[in-house]
Amino acid sequence: MTDLVTSPAPLPTSRLTDFWRVFRRNKMGLVGLFMLITIVFVAVFAHVIAPYDPSATHDVASSDIYNPPSAAHWIGTDDAGQDVFTNFIFGARVSLIVGFFAAFISVFIGGVLGIVAGFFGGRVENILMRFTDIMLVIPDLPLMVVIVALTKKPSLLNIIFVIGLLGWTTTARIVRSQTLAVKSRKFVLRARAIGAGNRHIIRHHILPLVMPILVVNAVLVVSLAILNESTLAFLGLGDPTAISWGQMLNYAFGRGAMSTGAWWALVTPGVGIVWVVLGLTLFGHGLEQVLNPRLETHHLMRPRPIVKHEATGKPLRHATRQRVPSEAPILIEVDNLSISYLTENKPPARAVENVSFTLREGELMGLVGESGCGKTTLMLGLLRLLPAAGQIVDGEVWFGDTELTALTDDEMEAVRWKGISIVFQGAMNALNPVRTVGDQIAEAIVKHNPLMKGKALEARVSELLDLVGISPEHKKHFPHQYSGGMRQRAMIAMALACNPKVVIADEPTTALDVMIQAQVLELLDSLRKKLGLSIIFVTHDLGVVAEMCDSVLVMYGGVTAEYSDVDTIYNTARHPYTQELLKAFPDLSQPDKRLASIPGYPPRLDDLPAGCRFAPRCPLAFERCHIEQPEIHQLSERHFASCHLVEKRV
Amino acid sequence: MQDYFLEVQDLKKYFLAGRPSMFNRAVEQVHAVDGVSLQLRRGEVVAIVGESGCGKSTLALTLMGLEEPTDGKIIFESKEITHANEHDRKLLRQRIQMVFQDPYESLNPTQTIGEIVGEPLDVHGLIHSKSERELKVVKALEDAGLKPAETYMHRFPHQLSGGQRQRVVIAGALVLEPHLLIADEPVSMLDVSIRAEILNLLADLRRTRQISIILITHDLGTVGYFADRIAVMYLGRIVEIGPTHEVLTNPQHPYTKALLSVVPVPNPRLRRERVILQGETPNPIHLPSGCRFHPRCPIVVERCKVEDPAYVETGESHQTACWMVGT
Repeated sequence: MTDLVTSPAPLPTSRLTDFWRVFRRNKMGLVGLFMLITIVFVAVFAHVIAPYDPSATHDVASSDIYNPPSAAHWIGTDDAGQDVFTNFIFGARVSLIVGFFAAFISVFIGGVLGIVAGFFGGRVENILMRFTDIMLVIPDLPLMVVIVALTKKPSLLNIIFVIGLLGWTTTARIVRSQTLAVKSRKFVLRARAIGAGNRHIIRHHILPLVMPILVVNAVLVVSLAILNESTLAFLGLGDPTAISWGQMLNYAFGRGAMSTGAWWALVTPGVGIVWVVLGLTLFGHGLEQVLNPRLETHHLMRPRPIVKHEATGKPLRHATRQRVPSEAPILIEVDNLSISYLTENKPPARAVENVSFTLREGELMGLVGESGCGKTTLMLGLLRLLPAAGQIVDGEVWFGDTELTALTDDEMEAVRWKGISIVFQGAMNALNPVRTVGDQIAEAIVKHNPLMKGKALEARVSELLDLVGISPEHKKHFPHQYSGGMRQRAMIAMALACNPKVVIADEPTTALDVMIQAQVLELLDSLRKKLGLSIIFVTHDLGVVAEMCDSVLVMYGGVTAEYSDVDTIYNTARHPYTQELLKAFPDLSQPDKRLASIPGYPPRLDDLPAGCRFAPRCPLAFERCHIEQPEIHQLSERHFASCHLVEKRV
Repeated sequence: MQDYFLEVQDLKKYFLAGRPSMFNRAVEQVHAVDGVSLQLRRGEVVAIVGESGCGKSTLALTLMGLEEPTDGKIIFESKEITHANEHDRKLLRQRIQMVFQDPYESLNPTQTIGEIVGEPLDVHGLIHSKSERELKVVKALEDAGLKPAETYMHRFPHQLSGGQRQRVVIAGALVLEPHLLIADEPVSMLDVSIRAEILNLLADLRRTRQISIILITHDLGTVGYFADRIAVMYLGRIVEIGPTHEVLTNPQHPYTKALLSVVPVPNPRLRRERVILQGETPNPIHLPSGCRFHPRCPIVVERCKVEDPAYVETGESHQTACWMVGT
């Protein structure tokens, strides 16, 4: 059994290489990094690079002043006859030193205050944050000017401290809010439960998660500090002995560079400042993309046009299906649908492969499978809402007389919601908290039916809420005034907004209590009877669907394991996976029996076993199962199973 | 009088609904846990069952000492720990451990599995060398069913499946060799095929290590297998408590009956009459008068609206708080 659990060996990649792998893809970040590296290089090796000695001030003839660029002085000379290029290079050194050290002070103060305020809360937070607010309101620059002017002799050290001590406010606020967010996460509670003290929690749990944001923020603070230094120096408050870019501007501006047309004396330090600030901003942007946990790209993107090509791997032969004569017309017919996630440098993840099913009018189909078995992908594929990497690589989806995979995006838009709508998993948490539930339902109606307005719209919203068992007066309430069960009902109301023929409910009850779960199921069942809806109910829980489904499709590792009517699935299931799943169910009538469990874990879709995908966990697997993927066998009119064992008995 | 391993007497935990201010000193109270009494023997498993909002998670946190009780007593291994000081509390943490509901949220994403499982050892200063630490971490991981432990040590939580993560959480609790494990909905976020494994793991731990377990869940279906007793909670109070078999086959309280009737049964031929209670648990700020269940009760009578029912013996160590019991 142990060999089942060993998935690919742990990759001993360091966090740094991981970081670089992701960062590399960010073009802007790379440009920023390059800009910074060059300027830091120039500053560090100033003595080597600079053509002249900056302190050499002797022998200045009036003819040396404000000379335009020449072979001897690449960017000309300044008011004191010195080489602008040399000053520029040494100025970089001062500007960067002031920028980095001042930023270090700011980030340190801001980080400590932010973490302390966010973590301890209460009175401490109140005092610290009010203090921060006051500091934030006081205009930085005039205060800096006053303080620097007060220090008798402005030295570089003074300037660093003044800039550093005044620049921490935004950092403190950002760090505090991140600390608050991290503090409320469950692993902090868990750390408390194991007996960890505040110091341990801050060091091991808060800091690692605040750090990324702090680093990103630090980059921006550095560029602010450099700007501040330049401003101070330009105002004549810099250290006269240390030449910085601001200082260069100050001298050039004050000593007639403008009037004599010596643009190079003004432009050069300006370019330096812009170069560094731009470099830092771009670099910070790149860092943020990599480090900021909130910018993870999980959201759905617009689907790319579908490219059809043969599914990777050997296409499976599919038993010819016979149309089952039945009085109810077929609404959806999915035929051999295959969907893959295509990522660069990785084998395609075959999330769905050769899945077929039919859905009749008024039918309630259960789509059952473990997480990661492809059931959500299948539904998103049906609606063509797959994330950008997801591609329908084979198969057809018939909705009435239309083949959905061949439609243009606009045509598909018309089918979505009006023909087939979906209640997303966890959708009840996706309601906008600052708008009333009624408003949000109205928005869903108007989006697909722009002509509906005023009274008619109001009436429709009330009607929909009534339909899902929410009294219409609640439409003026906000989502937070709704309980979890009511929010889920509201989401169902939204899905019904355009009178769809089919509703896909993706794990609509998973996060709910048993009693609320029963209520939602009852609601769906009644809607089906009242409106003649067809419903596809996606769940990982076989028990939930037993009591109301007509048919059940069991998926495993992206393929159909078994597909039949509900009675067959629960009483004469033929696929070992279905059988095992049923055994894993707690049976209240025999509470003393030990729970059967399926050892191992579902396969990863980018690393599928060669043969049957269930073989590594199957108690009945034999040699052939590990080599050859079973076909889908038709056992009776409406009973399909993909297992080698089934074939023998046909 | 029997010596209990853990004894909870009339435990109460109220929260303030909002902050008192200069203008509004009388802030309403949320009666999260409102008079819970419970006894636990060594090696016993008690399941606490109820809907969300019934106070079962608050009860867990209060027992853990992560919330300060408002009233009542907690006696653990013959010592009162209701308001233990910081030093005692830290020692208690070694003996009472908790498994949280959401294995996706309760692991720090920046720590490796080895760091997570070994963390309690570091916190309590229980190890003296690196090799000793590794030994204990490996043992805890393997006890929690993550074999071979070496393949997991250096991975990060996001590289594991939900079931594996929950095993890591359990390993992190086991490494301290606790006497009492409080498991707050340990399987509700997991797939059905994985649930059984985690429940079996907990059942094994109890058998091999004599760990007492308080299992908190909303699903009566999952508790039958290894709980010795079931306590059904509603709005901050236990409404029925008794041996598992008794409660499952002969439920007395109408709330227990309703909960049992909605447990999904994976057999369409057994479609039963279900008692679906309408509405949801009322908010625990304004408790209903009399019996707190009466607004949703299918068999309510006049008396229920006025008088709070006391516990009635409805079988051997089976108690129910309902006026209609035995009538």
